[in-house]
Amino acid sequence: MPSGGLLLQSIILGLLLGGLYALLAAGLTLYFGIMRVVMIAHSAFLILAAYLAWWCNERLGVDPLLSLLVTVPLFFGAGVLLQRMLLSRLRAATLTMMSVLLTFAIALIIEGLLGYAFSGTQRRIQLGYGSASFGLFGARIAVVKLIAFGLAVVALGSLYLLMKRTSFGWALRATIQHPDAARLVGIDTERIAGFGFGLGLATAAVGGTALSLDTTIYPSLHWHWIGPLMAIIVVGGLGSVPGAAAAAMLLGLGQSLLQIPMGTTWAQTVFYVALFATLAFRPQGFFGGRLAQRF
Amino acid sequence: MDVQAGYGRAAPVLRGFSVAVPAGSVVCLVGPNGAGKSTVLKVASGLLPPRSGRIVVGGVDLTGAGPQRMLAAGVALVLQGHSVFREMTVEENVLLGAYTLKDKAKRAERAAFVKELFPVVAARWGTLAGLLSGGQQKQVEFARSLMIDPRVVLLDEPSMGLDPKATTTIFEQVARMRDAGTAVLLVEQNARRALETADLGCVLDLGRVHISGPAADLLADPQLGELYLGGRPGEVNKAS
Repeated sequence: MPSGGLLLQSIILGLLLGGLYALLAAGLTLYFGIMRVVMIAHSAFLILAAYLAWWCNERLGVDPLLSLLVTVPLFFGAGVLLQRMLLSRLRAATLTMMSVLLTFAIALIIEGLLGYAFSGTQRRIQLGYGSASFGLFGARIAVVKLIAFGLAVVALGSLYLLMKRTSFGWALRATIQHPDAARLVGIDTERIAGFGFGLGLATAAVGGTALSLDTTIYPSLHWHWIGPLMAIIVVGGLGSVPGAAAAAMLLGLGQSLLQIPMGTTWAQTVFYVALFATLAFRPQGFFGGRLAQRF
Repeated sequence: MDVQAGYGRAAPVLRGFSVAVPAGSVVCLVGPNGAGKSTVLKVASGLLPPRSGRIVVGGVDLTGAGPQRMLAAGVALVLQGHSVFREMTVEENVLLGAYTLKDKAKRAERAAFVKELFPVVAARWGTLAGLLSGGQQKQVEFARSLMIDPRVVLLDEPSMGLDPKATTTIFEQVARMRDAGTAVLLVEQNARRALETADLGCVLDLGRVHISGPAADLLADPQLGELYLGGRPGEVNKAS
């Protein structure tokens, strides 16, 4: 029977992890919602952002969090370009299937470029505050995990405010929900889709930087992430950002708690078990609510 | 006027079709399936460019203009079936109708106007649109289309899928839109109810106007009644 301290620690870590997963999954949800695109390369961009954060720290000596000032606008622009130049050329009839192939290729290209630029050596940021931690009722919480969670909360909060309170956010939601009607009220759905993609990649920039704080990174790490992230958005309900967030919290918690009896490697299976269960019993997802997307 | 239009390389759907929609009136297009009624609306809203013919709005020739320009010229289209933004509130839906309106004061003024015209919209202002009934959603769509104070509203089968009570309400709301000064071009399968609401009627068959005139006259015509307004199914083919 695990000690109270260990249990509490797992729960807290699970929640912190869930918050990060929620941010990482939000971008994936946006791509699918806007354009029915399955963006396999999202996690590759995550790792790219992590590498850029590492590089900033290693070569320029700046705190990795500062790299956000460059990576967020850069990734936003890349997302707009990606949508305008490549994804918009896919034919509507086979869009989703072809997007898997296209983004798979992009992921491989990114992995290859990272390997070329930084070699396959595993990298880890050495931060002054990297090993700092504090105690909370017998649990030990690493400061970097808290910072990562904080980043996720700020990013998701900003995304929420953007979607709810700005004209662009409304136009984006309208484009996601009914592109024909959106066009008829004068929304330029092509332009909005481009910006929506940019937004998705911008969240990858934030997520990747958060990840870099306490993860060992290597070029093929993205494969480790795309499975769980895809599982999260299916469990949450494709196209629903709040659904993805709820699923992320739950699965993050589950993974953390299962690590106690099962160890890290086996704890990962919680994502795949949840994915199978969702597809078997409730394919439209568990958390999207009454209006969740259907497959 | 005299519009020819079609899809891709297929034979033209509209062959020399003409209709005029005077301000403050409801013009109703009826006809059998495949006559080209939806095509008329697609051409009129700029979604489908005509192969020949002209589209004139308020004295301005807008032939070939895309949906953005048609919207700017005051032509609003309400699609067939469900076209509300389901996960947005009624307020968000209606205000999005004024997406192209930069003037905040004008937007607020129009919002107050449509809330008065459509009490259901005012009553459910904060509700998620997807949770409303079919008839209520249609009214939200009407309200949304009126936000830009259009000259003409194009309605594509507004009563489709609605129960009789909701259908009655919808036609009442169409009349109220007309009374408020907007011109309405209405396409309907439910020909009898539509002609009862309309001022002018137009029977479309195989892409051409078969008969047109005051709606009351069309309703009264016994031959038309048999052919288009619910006669025996076998008779309909005689029209071609």
